[in-house]
Amino acid sequence: MTDSNSAEETAAKEKRKFVFKDRNFSYYINISKKKTWKSLKQIISQEHNLPWPKDTIHYSSVVTPPSFKPAKKYSDISGLPAKYIDPQTKLYYSTIDEFTIVRTLPSDIITGYLTLRGEHNPIG
Amino acid sequence: MSILDIRDIKTVADSFNSYSSELRNSKTPIVFDNGSYNCRVGWATSKQPNLIFKNLLARPRKDRGRKEGETQIGNDINNIEAVRFQLKTQFDRNVVTQFEVQEQILDYSFAHLSIDTDGSVEHPIFITEAIFNPNYSRILMSELLFEGYHVPTVCYGIDSLLSYLNSNNSKKSVLIVSVGYHCTHVIPVIQGKIDKAKCKRIDVGGYHINYYLHKLLQLKYPAHLNAITPSRAETLIFDHGFIAKNYQEEVNLWGDGDYYDQNVKRIQLPYNIPISTPLTPDQQREKRKELAKKLVEINARKREEKLIEDEEKLGQLTALQEMVADIESQQEIQSALRGFHISNLNELRKIITQLKTKIQKTKQKIAAVTGNNIEETISEEPKIKIMKTDIKLPKDDEDIKLWLNNVYKKRKDMIEKRTFRKQRRQDMAKRGTIAAQERMRLISQLARKEKNDDDFGIRDEDWDVYKAINKEGGDTDSEEEQEKILELEEVLKYYDPLFTGSSSPNEPINTKEAYQLHLGLERMRAPEILFQPSMIGSSQAGIAETVDFVLKGYSAEVANSLAGNVFLTGGPTQIPGFLERMNKEMLEIRPFKSKFSVSLSKKPSLSAWYGAKKFCCSDNFKNCVITYEDYQEKGADYIKEYFASNSYVPLPAPLPGVDVSNDILTENNSKGE
Repeated sequence: MTDSNSAEETAAKEKRKFVFKDRNFSYYINISKKKTWKSLKQIISQEHNLPWPKDTIHYSSVVTPPSFKPAKKYSDISGLPAKYIDPQTKLYYSTIDEFTIVRTLPSDIITGYLTLRGEHNPIG
Repeated sequence: MSILDIRDIKTVADSFNSYSSELRNSKTPIVFDNGSYNCRVGWATSKQPNLIFKNLLARPRKDRGRKEGETQIGNDINNIEAVRFQLKTQFDRNVVTQFEVQEQILDYSFAHLSIDTDGSVEHPIFITEAIFNPNYSRILMSELLFEGYHVPTVCYGIDSLLSYLNSNNSKKSVLIVSVGYHCTHVIPVIQGKIDKAKCKRIDVGGYHINYYLHKLLQLKYPAHLNAITPSRAETLIFDHGFIAKNYQEEVNLWGDGDYYDQNVKRIQLPYNIPISTPLTPDQQREKRKELAKKLVEINARKREEKLIEDEEKLGQLTALQEMVADIESQQEIQSALRGFHISNLNELRKIITQLKTKIQKTKQKIAAVTGNNIEETISEEPKIKIMKTDIKLPKDDEDIKLWLNNVYKKRKDMIEKRTFRKQRRQDMAKRGTIAAQERMRLISQLARKEKNDDDFGIRDEDWDVYKAINKEGGDTDSEEEQEKILELEEVLKYYDPLFTGSSSPNEPINTKEAYQLHLGLERMRAPEILFQPSMIGSSQAGIAETVDFVLKGYSAEVANSLAGNVFLTGGPTQIPGFLERMNKEMLEIRPFKSKFSVSLSKKPSLSAWYGAKKFCCSDNFKNCVITYEDYQEKGADYIKEYFASNSYVPLPAPLPGVDVSNDILTENNSKGE
């Protein structure tokens, strides 16, 4: 009860505040509670399912192609060019000093670096 | 080396612009550059945007029992970190999807332009949209503008093209590289006409740069996890970020210590000096003495208070006793005694004697304390625990040395044992190591023993093999051991002034230095993701590669004309070194001795607004707007095409059987009536 009352109150308040608005139109007040907005992903997949004229260009079709060059490896902790990969943690490192640091890192930092590089996938 | 303070941006709430009658009557268009980072709003006649604010709103959580807070928008949010988790944006990448947020942003904007017409906004609206904005998103935007604010006309434009329009209006071919907050676009425009088929989008932008630096610093300084905020990362990029001209070469320079020292930025985080600074033993003793003194004083005061109380009571009771002696009647005596909660005369007498002795004792105590000096009573050091337990203190100097060495050795042995165990555990975790192989060998040997001469277990030593097999190495890091080490260190600290604890971080730390961030290679590492998205795990091509890809799609002649006019715009292109880097990349991409030219937009983050304003003031503007009638008759996704617009492809009627979520249909049908 109180909830709907306060909602009405705020609705009234908003209306008074914004005189330039249509009195009966508001996504914010009327719809927001029941409606969740489609995400961009949903909008794109919805677009895919429609019978567009041939050669129509969509948001999803202009994405740049994947890189053709091999990704350069940089040490995760220092950013220097990395020649080595630690087989245990899978972190890149460039010098022996860094290697000793790598081995003392706690696991959350290690996964942090891996996730940042897009290497770590906790699901699979 | 200078140490730089971190700059925390304080926002200033937007002021309300006046809505002059001139503006009201002239139907001046309102220009929105609706970017996913900043929103810039202004009258088409204004010199600069009237409002520039972050396209964000913070909606306070509705907690039970608490009054609902106000929704804060854009520059009203004065500490963005305080509401980080309540922030909402209408954008999903660079497309508007959350229209209730968009509505509130529009409310805010119109309110700050002080529009006061009842039930409508009587001005044409120019608003930017994403290139290849999905029709669905435009339908909702048009609905919002036409139904919600009853605007007369709406016009949509693409920010990158408007930005180019602002700086140059020639019909020359141009390759626009527009770096936004979430996306980067490479847009070829041939003879004044955008070639939509060859546009490319990279899903990396300013946001990712900030995010990358934020995470890198957090991982580098886990202790300052909370002090390193996204907005601080952003200011660090603004102030110190740069783009390397030749990343591969420069990155190697940073490996050199001198180069690092010259180029590193030391950033001081705000910090508080901890109140409990480590005390020297002398200071500690001093402090203890003071405390003891205080305690003695408190005790003395308490005793005196008690004494006064007791004496008073004694006085009353003796008076009572005298009174009782005078009174004859038994009943009166009883009632008088009852007043003091005493049952009979004997008890009264008993209490009085008790009180007397008590008072005497207290008096003696007070006399003892004040008579002897306080110092003496409290100067006794609380003895160190260890002394009592198992370490006897030798008298001789030589002996002390020997004994100290012994303690040192004991401690060293323990620590060694511990590191050995750690090493062993690590080795055991992997299969290939010698330790693990030895273990497997032992196990297989145990299993192989023939049944008939099985004398395993007869000797006690036999059982030791299980210790060897055990992955933990027989015994684990016990707390007892840790305590023992600490105890030994305590002892050493007490008897050897030169001893500095190794494992205990009791050495004096410079707090100021501990709160410094060293911003070295990160300065160029974070912005580099624009050119190497692989650094953040994206498989997409970087800017240079995409430009190359786009140019290769054209004949040599067209490609040359495009390369001859590369135009950079968007906020992140302001990062120092961007232009130089682009020149270097073009040199690599283009054929030997071919000509190219790269130019940078004058005000990269505002030029789209200026371009839109320019367009709104041109004669062509009124031919490009959609009216409410258009919206109703031609479909909600309708737009008129012009040089800076998306192309209009009406939503097709869906094939029967194709599952299309219904609301897009209902929207479409109802508008088509």
